[in-house]
Amino acid sequence: MNPSEYMEALAKLWSFNAKYFASESPSTEKGPLASFDLEGMTKASKAFTTLWSSAMEVSQTLARHAQEGKTQNPLITELLGKFLDPKAWFSSMEGMDQALQQLSEGPRLADLWDTERKMLNVFNAWAALRQRSLEHNTIMLEAWLQAAGKFAENLNKRERTEALGSWRELLALWVETANTVLLETQRSDAYLKSQREILKTSTDLRLAQQEIAAFYSETFGYPTRAELDDVHRTVTELRRELRALQRAYREAPKHEVVPKPRANRQRKLVQTRRSHGE
Amino acid sequence: MANSGPPINITPEQAISEAAALGEKIARGAELFFRLRDSEVAIATTPKDEVWRQDKVTLYHYRPLADIKVATPVLIVYGLIGRYTMADLQEDRSLVRNLLNLGIDLYVVDWGNPSRADRWLTLDDYIDGYLAECVRVISERHKIDNVSLLGICEGGVFTTCYAALYPGAVKAMVLTITPIDFHGDTVENRLGHGFINIWTRSLKPEDIDRLIEAYGNLPGDFMGSIFSQMTPMRTLMKYNLDMLEVMDDEKKFRNFLRMEKWIADRPHHPGEAAKQWLKDLYQANKLIKNAFTVSNRLVDLGNITMPVLNVFAKDDHIIPPATSQALGAKVGTKDYTELPLPGGHVGVFVGGKSQALLGSGIAKWLSERQ
Repeated sequence: MNPSEYMEALAKLWSFNAKYFASESPSTEKGPLASFDLEGMTKASKAFTTLWSSAMEVSQTLARHAQEGKTQNPLITELLGKFLDPKAWFSSMEGMDQALQQLSEGPRLADLWDTERKMLNVFNAWAALRQRSLEHNTIMLEAWLQAAGKFAENLNKRERTEALGSWRELLALWVETANTVLLETQRSDAYLKSQREILKTSTDLRLAQQEIAAFYSETFGYPTRAELDDVHRTVTELRRELRALQRAYREAPKHEVVPKPRANRQRKLVQTRRSHGE
Repeated sequence: MANSGPPINITPEQAISEAAALGEKIARGAELFFRLRDSEVAIATTPKDEVWRQDKVTLYHYRPLADIKVATPVLIVYGLIGRYTMADLQEDRSLVRNLLNLGIDLYVVDWGNPSRADRWLTLDDYIDGYLAECVRVISERHKIDNVSLLGICEGGVFTTCYAALYPGAVKAMVLTITPIDFHGDTVENRLGHGFINIWTRSLKPEDIDRLIEAYGNLPGDFMGSIFSQMTPMRTLMKYNLDMLEVMDDEKKFRNFLRMEKWIADRPHHPGEAAKQWLKDLYQANKLIKNAFTVSNRLVDLGNITMPVLNVFAKDDHIIPPATSQALGAKVGTKDYTELPLPGGHVGVFVGGKSQALLGSGIAKWLSERQ
């Protein structure tokens, strides 16, 4: 499944889920579902699909025309097609999105049916993240199209000077061209804004998931994340205090008596044992 | 030479010959790949002994490889992003070994593997807590009043703050690839340089707070993805081009795998410390403004009165040179030296040319200040 088909399938799934909830929930207008942006999702999906078709067309045209003027070799056309395929770009350009997804995607849609309000929050947060990812991928695809255009331009310049004689040279030209375009893209306001949105939505998703986890923990008597955080905070503060006390003890003039916690505790333990006849 | 034909002139014979050569390379590489075990790709192998431990932090003392020529011991302080093993990646490209061979008495602090349980640790804990303890332990072991510090990247910020707070405890300070002016990336504004600075400034402080609230720390994988974005095509081509280049040469392939091992070992950055790192330093740029506080004390760079050697990489895309060089105008010592080296952020430590200059440059500078 290519990225475009994947996005389309997801958009359909979201819209199906949204309709299902709309029919089942009596408070859809003001409930959690009201924050689900179906229109935004559809729009983002369409923008990506349109751009994806253009990118595929450019990729194939580039591969065909690179050998123009001589008999086309099917093997080279196929190899060129693969190497200029935007799918390759997407396979490893998801970077932060992928890292965050791995970190945040816990509960899947299967969990959706046996929960209530909290689950809907998770669903909405997950959908928002997918939408932002889609918007980000669209920016990346625009960058790919720009890189492909510049690559074609550079190839044309070569036509007037010296033809590329090996795959390595060809690849080097693509890497150099694409790298410059990507670095420029990364500095653009659109890219940075989109990354920030992904960060925010993935954080929202994670927090919504933690709400579910807290709900189950409380139900079954397990400590919640917040309770554990409290304990860890206390431990950190105690260690900090201990360090400060040890430092004060070391730095105090010899005649000043500063209690040494560990030594006192050991002495007390020894006394206790003695009193028990050990 | 003028060309009237197509822009690509790869003949089928040439394509087949290139493919065959590549096939042979892959076959040899695959054989090597399956033969090598992870345990054979060892990093940080220079012998050392644990001398102190507190919580997850461990202080090591390296065993000498030559007669000690510089009496004051040196403590290597790496940051919480990545690990100190970069300074000892492989035997023939190791800052640690180079310094030991040149007669430096060397210690290193390992911050361990912070987990969610360490969420509440702050930079104050690392600088005024663990680092201060390490300095104390070394001073007591050697019965001396001060030690020399060698800070690397974020670790350089730790040593800078410590030196400003306790100038009497630091004999000399060496900084390598250390950001001081976190907005210094705008000085040169080079394409592909300073992306972390730009990216962090594009966030709002509350985005960072929520990120830490959600994850409890700054996940190592997350920072890894930000670093990958700094060299986008390199990241894209790493395993299908860079690796192919070296995979039939055992020595080069091992070096590649060692670097991969170091990159993969990316600990989580404790949450509260990450907030200070990103908000107070990257966003608000408090260090260069003398507005950063540690343990409720202002870090005044003017209090840095000991000799300072500031090493930076001329082509550092992570810590652009101007971000490091800004220190020169702020320190309170006249004995301030800069050592610009060729290469990038990591290249300074493992690049053939730089790493040789780095070790000898530091050793010479330290020995002149005994």
